[in-house]
Amino acid sequence: MLKISGGFLLGVMAALLLVWSSIGGLMFSERLSPYTVEETTARIQQNIQAAGNGWSISGLRNPAKPIEAEGGNVLPVLLIEACSAQYSGPILKDDGVRFLSLLMPCKISVYKKSDGKVYIGYLNAGMIGSLFGPLVGDIMAKVVVDQQGFLVMDPSKPAPALIIPKTGGESGGASGAEAGC
Amino acid sequence: MNASTRIYLYRRYERFWHWSQAVLVIFMLVTGFEIHGVYKNFGFQRAVEYHTLTAWALLTLWAFTIFWQFTTGEWRQYIPTLHRVLAMVRYYAYGIFVNAPHPFHKTPNKKHNPLQRLAYVALLAMVSPLIWGSGFFYLFYAYWQDLGLEGAIPLAWVAMAHTAGAFMMLTFFIVHVYLTTTGHTPLAHIKTMLTGWEEVEDEVPANKASAG
Amino acid sequence: MSQTKLLFAASLLGAVLAWSTAWGEVPGAARPANLAVPSGSAIPLGESTVDHSKLKELQKNFASGPEVTKACLSCHTEAAKQVQHTKHWTWEYTDPKSGQKLGKKNIINNFCTTSISNEKDCMACHAGYGWKDANFDFTAEANVDCLICHDSTATYRKLPGDAGHPVYERREFPHGSGKFVEAVDLQKVAQSVALPSRSNCGSCHFYGAGGDGTKHGDLDSALKKPGKYLDVHMDAKGLNFTCSTCHATAGHKVSGSRYEMAAALTGPAETRGKAAASPAACQSCHGDKPHKESILHAERLNTHSNKLACQTCHIPQYARDSIGTEISWDWSTATRMGTDGKPFLVKDSAGRRAFDSKKGNFVWDSYVVPEYRWFNGHVSYKTKGERIDPGQIVEINRPEGEAGQADSRIWPFKIHRGKQAYDSENNYLVVVHTAGEDDTALWANFDWQKAIGAGMQTAGMRYSGKFGFVSTEMSWPITHMVAPKNDALGCAQCHRENGRLEGITGIYLPGRDHSYLLDNIGWMVVLLSLLGVLIHGGTRAYLHFKHKG
Repeated sequence: MLKISGGFLLGVMAALLLVWSSIGGLMFSERLSPYTVEETTARIQQNIQAAGNGWSISGLRNPAKPIEAEGGNVLPVLLIEACSAQYSGPILKDDGVRFLSLLMPCKISVYKKSDGKVYIGYLNAGMIGSLFGPLVGDIMAKVVVDQQGFLVMDPSKPAPALIIPKTGGESGGASGAEAGC
Repeated sequence: MNASTRIYLYRRYERFWHWSQAVLVIFMLVTGFEIHGVYKNFGFQRAVEYHTLTAWALLTLWAFTIFWQFTTGEWRQYIPTLHRVLAMVRYYAYGIFVNAPHPFHKTPNKKHNPLQRLAYVALLAMVSPLIWGSGFFYLFYAYWQDLGLEGAIPLAWVAMAHTAGAFMMLTFFIVHVYLTTTGHTPLAHIKTMLTGWEEVEDEVPANKASAG
Repeated sequence: MSQTKLLFAASLLGAVLAWSTAWGEVPGAARPANLAVPSGSAIPLGESTVDHSKLKELQKNFASGPEVTKACLSCHTEAAKQVQHTKHWTWEYTDPKSGQKLGKKNIINNFCTTSISNEKDCMACHAGYGWKDANFDFTAEANVDCLICHDSTATYRKLPGDAGHPVYERREFPHGSGKFVEAVDLQKVAQSVALPSRSNCGSCHFYGAGGDGTKHGDLDSALKKPGKYLDVHMDAKGLNFTCSTCHATAGHKVSGSRYEMAAALTGPAETRGKAAASPAACQSCHGDKPHKESILHAERLNTHSNKLACQTCHIPQYARDSIGTEISWDWSTATRMGTDGKPFLVKDSAGRRAFDSKKGNFVWDSYVVPEYRWFNGHVSYKTKGERIDPGQIVEINRPEGEAGQADSRIWPFKIHRGKQAYDSENNYLVVVHTAGEDDTALWANFDWQKAIGAGMQTAGMRYSGKFGFVSTEMSWPITHMVAPKNDALGCAQCHRENGRLEGITGIYLPGRDHSYLLDNIGWMVVLLSLLGVLIHGGTRAYLHFKHKG
C-alpha cells in the first residue's frame, strides 16, 4: 500500500514538474518570419489596422535602443502594441480581473536571433483566457482569432511602410494611449 | 534473522576518496557530454570551465590518494588475479538468481572480488591513460604549436580518444552502480561504503558446507 | 559520520574558493597590458600650425576645383605627385600574384557593375577633376582634388554627372526631387582645410554603390558620429578614432587595402617608431594574443587567433543601425515600367530602395549576421572578358585561403548576391553604359541592347548582340564596426551544431563535430550495459518476489 501511494505521489510530482518546465512554452508562442524585422513589423501593423473589431496600433517600441545608448549591442527587436477597446473594456470594467490590464495593450514582438533569422513572439491568449473564468475566456477566444489574422503574411502584397506612431516611437519610453486604450 | 558480524572494511579517507571521486566523475561526465554537444545545461563556456576545474580537482584528489595507497599498503588491493574469476562470472550469470552463496568473502585484506580487481585494473591501466592523456592534449591545445605538435596529431583524434574514454567511464559507472545492489540487501554495499562497516552473515559458511 | 561530512564541506568550500580565484576577473586587467597607444588619436582636428584662412594664396574667389588645387600646390609642392601614386587617384591595382589589372578602373562589380563608359557619374568619388572618359590626363597635377579629403566644413559636395567637379551652381538633386544642393563656397572650404575626418573618408566610402551603407555593410554614415555600441574605437564620446588613426597615412599613402589584406598578422603589438607592416590591422595595436586569461584557461582564447580573425568574434553583426546594407541587387528587372509606362520607384518597409526601373530590385537588411570563410588576404577576381559558366553562380571575387594554411584565418564576410547582364554567346560579363543623358544610356533610354552595345564599344570588347542575366556574388570582408568586448561572440555561437561556423571545413570544432561511428558505438555500448543491468536486476527482483510469494 505504501509503495502504491508512494508511486502515485511520485507520478503526481513528475506530472507537476513536466507542467512547470513547459509552462513557459504554453504561455508564449514563437514562429519564423520570412521577412526582415522591419517588413515583418510593417506587415503585422497593416494586418492590425485591417482587422476591424476596434483594433488599432497604439505603439511601437524598440527595447534595443536603451541598450545601445548604454554602449551595448543586442540584436534588433521591435515591439508592436495593439489595442481594441471592444475587448479591453469588459475586462477593465470587472474588478475581479482588472489586474489583467497588465497584459494591455496586446503585444507582438518581432526580433532577430543569432541564426540571422527573424522570429515573431506573441502571448498565447487562449491559454491566458482559460485561466480567468468565462468572461476573460470568451474575450480571449476572440483575441486569439484576431491575433492569428495579424500574423498572416501575404507575399503577393507589396511591403507596406513601417508605421511609427507619434507617441512611443523608437524611444523605448512611455507609449501613448491615444489609440483609445 | 541471521546473526551477523561486522567488519570494518573502508577507512575514513578511503570513503572520502570514493565519494568525492564519485561526485567529481559524475560532474565530469555531465559537463563533458555537454561539451560534446549532447545536451544544453550550463552552456558551452561554463561547461568547459567546470570540466577543467573538476579535472584539476580530481587530479589533486588522486595525488593524495596515491600517497595514501602506498603509505597504507592498500594498493595491493588492486593487484589483479584470475583466481576464482570464473566462479564470479558463474555467480553473476546464474547463482545470484537462485540465492546461491557468494563465491567471494570480503576481508579487510581482500576487499575486492577477482572481477572487481580486473575491472579496476582495466580502469587504471586502460581508461585512465586514454582519458587523461587525451584530456591533457585537449586542454593544452594552445601549446601544440610551440611543441611542434600542430599538424602532427589531428585534434579530431584527440577528441575521439577522449570521447571513447568518456563512453567507457559512463559504461563503468552504470555497471558499477548496478553491482552495488548485489549485496545481501540492495543497499548493503552502499551502506558499507558510507559507514565503512560491512555486515557479514554467519549463515554463509553453513550454507557453503551444506552445498559441498 | 560527522567527520566525513566535515571533510565534504571543507572540500566543497575549497573548490568554491579555488573556483572564484581561478576564473574571476583579474584585477586591473580591464585593459590589455600590451595595448599600444595609437598616436594621433587624441589630437583634435584643427591643431595645425597653419591657419589657412590667413594665407594670401587663399584670399580669392576660386572659380573651379583645379584653381584651388593650384593654390594648394604653391606651398604643398609634392602633394599632387604623392596623390597621383595612390589608388585614390589611379583607381587601379595590379595583383602581384596573378598580374591581373584590378581596381575600380578595371573590374566589374556586383553593384553598379563598372565605371567604364559611366565615368561622369562614378567620378563623383574620384579624388580628381574631369575624368569623364578614357582620355583623362592622369599626370595633370591641377586635376587632383585636395578638398574632398581635406574639407572641414561639410559643405563640399560632388554630384554624379560632373566627372568629379564640385557643385559650382545651385541645382536640384536628385533631378525632380525638389531638393536643392547649394553651390560650394570654394574660398571658404579652401581656407578651412584640415586633416581628414570620418566624414571626409565617409563622403565616398559610406556611400559606395550609390547610397548610404549600400556596398560595405560595415561602413555607413552612422559612423560619422557613432555610439560606443556601434564602434568601440570611433565612439564619438569615447576614443573617437578617425579613419586614419588605424589607416595610418604618410605621404598621402593610406594604409590598409581590401586588395592586399593583412589577414593573419602574428606577433606582439607594434612599437611606435618601428616601421609597421600593416598599421590598419587589429594586431598592430593589440598584438595577436590580446586576451588576459586565467591560468586555468590554458591560453584557450588567445589560441583562437591562430584560426580566427579578431573580427570574427568582435563584429557579431554588421550594419548595426537602421541604415542597414544592401544584400542583393537584381539587375534583371531593370527597365520594368509602371502601369503608366513610366519608370517608378518602390521602397521597402524601412524606407530603403526596393525597386528602381533604372536599376532593378534590391534587398536590404540591418544587423546582419556575417557569413564566414577561410581567407589569407588575397582575393582573386573575375576580370573583364574572363569566361564565366552561366549555369553556376559567378563569384565576381573569391577570397582565397583554406584550413591548415599558416596565413589563413576564418573571416567574417558580407556576401552580396545579385544578377547582372552577360553576353550569352561569348559567356562573359558585359560593360553596360548606364549613366548619362545620351540616347544609349540605360538610365535615360531603358534599352538594354543599346546600353550594352555602347558600353562594350567603349570598353573595346566584342559583343555578340545577345545577352542574358546571370547570378553573381561578391564577398566583402567585414572589419569595421567593432563592438565593445562584452558583445563579442560567446563560445556556443560556434561550438554547437548549426552554429555560425557550420559551413567551415578543415577543422575539428568541439561541440559541433563528432565521429558518428564512435558516437553510435559509444551510445550502443552504454545502452546495452543499461539494458543488461536492467534485465539482470529485473530478473533478480522477479525471482526474489516469486520465491517470497
